[in-house]
Amino acid sequence: MLEDVKKKVDELFGFKTESYDTNMLLIFGEKEKIRDLLKFLKDFGFSYPHTISVVDYTPEGRGFEINYILEDIYIKKFVIVRIELSENNLAVPSVSDIFPALQPHEREAWEMFGVEFVGNPRLEVMLLPEWAEGTFPLRKSYQFKKHRKGTK
Amino acid sequence: MEFGYEFILEEKKEVSGSDLGLLQEKLLQLNWGVQHPASGPMRLKVWIDGDEVVKVDPDIGYVLRLLEKLVEYRNWINAIVNVERACFIDNFGTMAGYSIAAEKIAGIEVPKKADYMRVILCEGGRIVSHLLGLGGFVGVLGVHTPSQWALVAREKFLDAFEVYSGQRIATSSIIPGGVRYEPTGKFIEKMVEAIDYLEKEFIPRYEEVFIDNPTLKLRSVGVGVVPKEKAVELGLAGPALRASGVASDIRKDYPYAAYGDFEFKVVTREEGDSYARYCVLFDEIKESAKIIRQAIEGFPEGEYRTKFPIKLPKGEAYVNVEWARGCFGFHLISNGGTGPYRLKMRAPSFANLWAMPEIMKGVKLADVPVIFASLYMCHGDIDR
Repeated sequence: MLEDVKKKVDELFGFKTESYDTNMLLIFGEKEKIRDLLKFLKDFGFSYPHTISVVDYTPEGRGFEINYILEDIYIKKFVIVRIELSENNLAVPSVSDIFPALQPHEREAWEMFGVEFVGNPRLEVMLLPEWAEGTFPLRKSYQFKKHRKGTK
Repeated sequence: MEFGYEFILEEKKEVSGSDLGLLQEKLLQLNWGVQHPASGPMRLKVWIDGDEVVKVDPDIGYVLRLLEKLVEYRNWINAIVNVERACFIDNFGTMAGYSIAAEKIAGIEVPKKADYMRVILCEGGRIVSHLLGLGGFVGVLGVHTPSQWALVAREKFLDAFEVYSGQRIATSSIIPGGVRYEPTGKFIEKMVEAIDYLEKEFIPRYEEVFIDNPTLKLRSVGVGVVPKEKAVELGLAGPALRASGVASDIRKDYPYAAYGDFEFKVVTREEGDSYARYCVLFDEIKESAKIIRQAIEGFPEGEYRTKFPIKLPKGEAYVNVEWARGCFGFHLISNGGTGPYRLKMRAPSFANLWAMPEIMKGVKLADVPVIFASLYMCHGDIDR
């Protein structure tokens, strides 16, 4: 099953793949084709979205990494689609119309990291208090003292 | 705003006091929570047209602790203190998932005894959590007797956890490299006592009164129905997903710890309504009790813990565990330091919460608490 995905992704998109763990496949995607890739994976059977996991690698000079984690819930296999973003251009097309369940996950990633998901209808503060919008607490550059709420 | 209500008119004008006029021509926005007895620390903004729910929008963030950030300031072992606080009711599942992820990065294997111990604790946590879920579900219908019954049964398990770790709720007992303490005979004894009480006293009585209960069925059968395909599309997790007929259970699909050694079945229901979700919880308690009995029977000898290195190599792991409320995912990243570089927790309650507005479209206002409780969410892991 994962072998088929591997072959197809190589044929259609030319992306590199790597087996991640037993039952998991890691696909190194590109930001421009992310929507096509996820649409293809959804049609292929990976219809159950788990989450979007963002990793901030700026202290290592690499920008940000976004992982889309999807599962084929009937055949019991996972794929992780990984794309790299540079620090200066933190925008990626939203997939919230392909996977509606990922919409709040994108919203959380935007709130915590400042990654803009272009096309997501609802990039509003969800977990943070309103005054903390734009502080991006899960970034490595976040400083507790600097971003504290101002006193009256 | 004099009366605490807000009226949304077509031209978006807010009216109050003597301007209220005829209510049936307007959409009324109600705040369900923060102080509703069933809501917990969250608010649902519910727009109703007469008695029919038009739109629901959850307002969350009241218990945000930013656990994913706090973990980055800790070392590999004591990060479990933050991880287990994702939800205090079943703290074992989250600790087990984090520990397995850390062990994968370190490339070490834990002793068999630790794996068995993890299974016993995780299933104990699941029973404790499901008991509260059952009691809470009937509680929102206004009957508080079952939650008292459930608490009595839960108490026995908490006693066992206390004997094992000294704590009843936040036990910090599963760590990377194994489990923290040697499981003593006294602990096993207490656990067997708790299972005995559960199977011989609680389950038969509860089944008789609160499962095949006509009043309860009247309120919950056919309420908040989610068909199979819809459940996958909405991304429902855990018991709610299985109640819609999708046999997804990480313990069976991708066995971790010692789950591969035991016989149990994945509880599913076809109906997908609130009552089905309630029954799944009840049936899963029986399965969990069976697993604990098997684990105690085949309990191996040997070490309960191996040495866990202070520094881990660079690497990452994605681990899923079947937590009480569904599939809990851990994306753990190490950059070669003494603690996690980044931990992403995929919380099942978060997935269920955002599926809820879709399920609640067009239901009656009185069904809102029923559907809410049947989705079996925990605020700690929604906000993290």
